[in-house]
Amino acid sequence: MRAFLVACLAIVVVGTGGYFFLNAMQEPSGVAYATGGARISTSWVWRSVIGPNGADEPTTKTAQAGECDMRKTWQWIFVDFGKPDGESATCSASQ
Amino acid sequence: MIRIESRRSGINIVRFNAFERFVHWMTATCFIIMAVSGLNITFGKDVLLPLIGPTTFSSWTLAAKYAHNFLSFPFTLGVILIVLIWIAENIPNRVDVEWFKRGGGMVGQDRPPAYRFNGGQKGTYWIVVLGGTAAAVSGYLLMFPFYGTTIVGMQLAQVIHGVVAMLFVAAMLAHTYIGTIGMEGAFEAMGEGTVDLNWAKEHHSLWLEEEMARTGPDKLRRQPSATPAE
Repeated sequence: MRAFLVACLAIVVVGTGGYFFLNAMQEPSGVAYATGGARISTSWVWRSVIGPNGADEPTTKTAQAGECDMRKTWQWIFVDFGKPDGESATCSASQ
Repeated sequence: MIRIESRRSGINIVRFNAFERFVHWMTATCFIIMAVSGLNITFGKDVLLPLIGPTTFSSWTLAAKYAHNFLSFPFTLGVILIVLIWIAENIPNRVDVEWFKRGGGMVGQDRPPAYRFNGGQKGTYWIVVLGGTAAAVSGYLLMFPFYGTTIVGMQLAQVIHGVVAMLFVAAMLAHTYIGTIGMEGAFEAMGEGTVDLNWAKEHHSLWLEEEMARTGPDKLRRQPSATPAE
C-alpha cells in the first residue's frame, strides 16, 4: 500500500513536471499545424514507392488543355497501383 | 481460479521489494488512466456522448486529454525503470520453452518449474517494454506535430499508437486478471511484496531454490494471521 501511495505521489510530481515541459515546448495548434511538414506534397504519392512507374518520372512539359482524358472515379481508386493504360507521363503528372 | 494446491503454509517470502512495487504501481496507474482516456478519445464520441451529453462530455474529454498528455511522462519513466530493473531476469531460456509446452500450469494440475519470471510473465514483460516504447514514441510524435516528421509520419504515428494501445490494453486485461482473481496468492506479490512459500513452490520452484540458497531460511517470514496447511 505504501509503495502504491508513493507511486501516486511520484505520478503527481512527474506529471506536474510534464505540464510545465509541455507548456514550454508545445506550439499552439494554429502554429504547429501550419508548418511545412503539415503540407501535403503533391509530388509525393504512394505509387512512387510501390509502383514501377513512379510519379517521379521526369516530365519536362506540361499538358495542354484538352490534351489529356480526365480519369474516371474508379481509376482514381486504383491510382496508387499505376497509371491507366495508354496515359502519357505528361498527362499523369498533370492529373 | 488457480488455487494453491497444498494450501497456505503461513510462511511468506519476499518476492518484490519496495522499489519494484513502486515502479510497477507508478506505471500501472498511469497506464490505466491513459487507457481510459485513450479509449475515450477513440470511442467516447460514439459511446459516451449520447449518454452524458455534450457539455459533460466536453469537460470530461478535455480533462482526460490533459491527463493523457501529462501522465505520459511518469509512464515513460516507469517503462524505462522496468527495462532496467527486470531485463536480466526476463531473457527467454529453455525453462520457458518447457513451461509453454506444459501449458504454463494453467491446464490440469501440472506445475512446470520456473525461475523468478515464468514464460508468460516474460511475455508480459516484453509486451510492456516493446508496446510501451512504441506507444510512447508514437504518442510523443502526436504531441509534437511535425517536429521532425511529415504528414506521412504523423499518419503512421496515429495508426501505430492506436493499434499498439488497443493490443496493449487487451494484454494488460489478461495480466490484471491472472494477477488478481485468476490466481490465488498472486496479488500479494505486488500488494505486500511477499508470497506464500507454497505458492512460490508451486509456481516458481527454481526461483525459490535460488532464494533459499542465497538468503537461507532466516529471511522467511511467518504470517501470524495466515492459516497453516494441515
